[in-house]
Amino acid sequence: MNKKLGLRCLNNAPLLLFATVFLLLGLASDRFLDWQNLLNIGVQSSSTAIVAIGMTFVLLTAGVDLSVGGVMFVAVAVAGKMIYSGQPLWLSFLAALVVGIIAGVINAFFVTRMKIAAFVVTLAMLFFARGFGLWFTQTRAMNMPDKVTAIGTSSVLGIPIPLLVLAVVCIAAHLTLSRTPFGRQIYAVGNNSDHARKAGISVTRNLFIVYVICGACAALAGLLALTQTGAVSPSFGENKEFSAIAAAVLGGTSLFGGRGKILPGTLFGAVLIQTVENGLVILNANPYLYPIITSLIIFFAILLDSIRSRALESFHRRPIRPTDFQTNP
Amino acid sequence: MTFLRNPLLALTCFLSLLLGGCGGGSSDDRITIGVAFETLQTEYWVAGFDAIKAELEKRDIRILEAIADSDSNRQLQQIKTFVTRRVDGIIMVPKDAKTSIPAIKAANEAGIPIVLFNRIADREGVEFVGVQADNFALAKATVDYMVEKARETGRKHKAMVVLGDMGDHNAIGRRDGFFAAIDGNEDIIEVVARVPSEWNQEKAQAGVVNAFQANPDISFLFTSSDFLFPSIVSALKAADKYHKIGEPGHVILGGFDGDATAWQMMQDGYLSATGVQDVYFEAEASVQAILDLLEGKEVPELIRDPGFVIHQSNMEAMKDRMWGAVISSGN
Repeated sequence: MNKKLGLRCLNNAPLLLFATVFLLLGLASDRFLDWQNLLNIGVQSSSTAIVAIGMTFVLLTAGVDLSVGGVMFVAVAVAGKMIYSGQPLWLSFLAALVVGIIAGVINAFFVTRMKIAAFVVTLAMLFFARGFGLWFTQTRAMNMPDKVTAIGTSSVLGIPIPLLVLAVVCIAAHLTLSRTPFGRQIYAVGNNSDHARKAGISVTRNLFIVYVICGACAALAGLLALTQTGAVSPSFGENKEFSAIAAAVLGGTSLFGGRGKILPGTLFGAVLIQTVENGLVILNANPYLYPIITSLIIFFAILLDSIRSRALESFHRRPIRPTDFQTNP
Repeated sequence: MTFLRNPLLALTCFLSLLLGGCGGGSSDDRITIGVAFETLQTEYWVAGFDAIKAELEKRDIRILEAIADSDSNRQLQQIKTFVTRRVDGIIMVPKDAKTSIPAIKAANEAGIPIVLFNRIADREGVEFVGVQADNFALAKATVDYMVEKARETGRKHKAMVVLGDMGDHNAIGRRDGFFAAIDGNEDIIEVVARVPSEWNQEKAQAGVVNAFQANPDISFLFTSSDFLFPSIVSALKAADKYHKIGEPGHVILGGFDGDATAWQMMQDGYLSATGVQDVYFEAEASVQAILDLLEGKEVPELIRDPGFVIHQSNMEAMKDRMWGAVISSGN
């Protein structure tokens, strides 16, 4: 019984950590648990969470996409230019998504067809996208008209639009991974691509699709961030790749592939990071404490994950000899 | 053209033409200055880069350009390339105070004068001339003006400061300038929120939203850089706090840098004041320092850009010196 409880706790370690942080911050400030503040945390997490969802798909295949920050920037730069030139919002946003998909296709092509390491390809794409974006914008910030920020601050039935978008993406990604053959194949590819290939799974096709999903998610996340910040600045999306990887790993996704979930995993990872930053501002904490506390929580989460992995491994390990061999030969 | 049938000869000719085209073998007698920027990722750096290039062109000085994209190792290699190409002087924006020291050392060892533009490094066994705005004094003067405006309202204000990257000397100078101005004025200003932005729009926007969540009655806000204003304005609008000067609910706003957004906000009547770094002064002083060093003249280790505070009362008179206003007018 105790073992089962322990196993359940370990399986839900990200959720327990999240609940603990939430409780502590709630005790420290009554403003923290205010409904509006909870909505703020959700809205502020939405962009990172969507990038992290795309990243989770890639990480599950034992790959990595370091280009997401650059793709975010170039996608919103294209959208921003179009909005500036008087194009309708829907068309500008659609163009941004197409840019994200194209970046994903290029990454996928080099990873799957040219067999270049994902790390190298996506790092090159990061620099290319950022350089292209800087050239395209001439390093000039573009301040968006109010109709753009109105999207980020509007609600439908009391739920902010960024949260609704996040919910749709989360549910779609979760169902894709947990209920479709494609989702199962992603886990299989991440666990062992050779075995997956021998089992008749098209590894190339699956890898191709995950990089395209990641590119599309990066562009969508960029648009969500744009509706909140109201500006395309040259540093847009900078270091987002690290936040996305941190959120996925905090949520229990393995960097070695084959293990991880969108719900609650990656979503809680993204929300946890934002919760900590939100709580520190609410408490008017010393600015020097922010990176220390955030990194301690990330370290603690990864430590928990490591303990969990080892415990689960030993729990599921089959004994070579039956344990009752001595007593009942 | 038969010689082109020999691939080796053809390749040699091609490389010679290429190198010639790059200016590597030029017999130009003009002075050459290498300009190495850490990044061009804010309007300020672009304006600085353009101002230096214009200053060099005005003086008929040849320029070699390099941008390190925030990578200090790349910047070190770029400086070494400048040394190999035997430039006469180097103007550099270092990545930060520490990691740029090997690059400065490489220039020192080659005996090439080096000037650090706008951001200086630690003087740990290296020699350079720094040209830098007095971040502390300029931020203090800007916030002094804001405090004066706050005092005129006759009521107490809760204040928020949006900080930059805590590893950046400039950001720290501005933070200290803010608190120095508040010091002694606690009777009307209470600082209730310190928001670290790490020079990131998203973090700034989220931080300002969160600070208003904790303290809805904040009515005094200073940002360490104007480039964060779009995010801050977005957050202010979401909290229904973005009102013109003199209107009910107005938040006294102040900034630092003097960019085009700040100029627009000032014209529209939302921004009280901003501390302007005189990018044209800094560009001219940097180039002049290199020329003086080449002539063996004495140059101070640190040349201070006095900058100036532009506010609602002097904006028309000062706009020609505000680089953001100059960019806006398309000059």
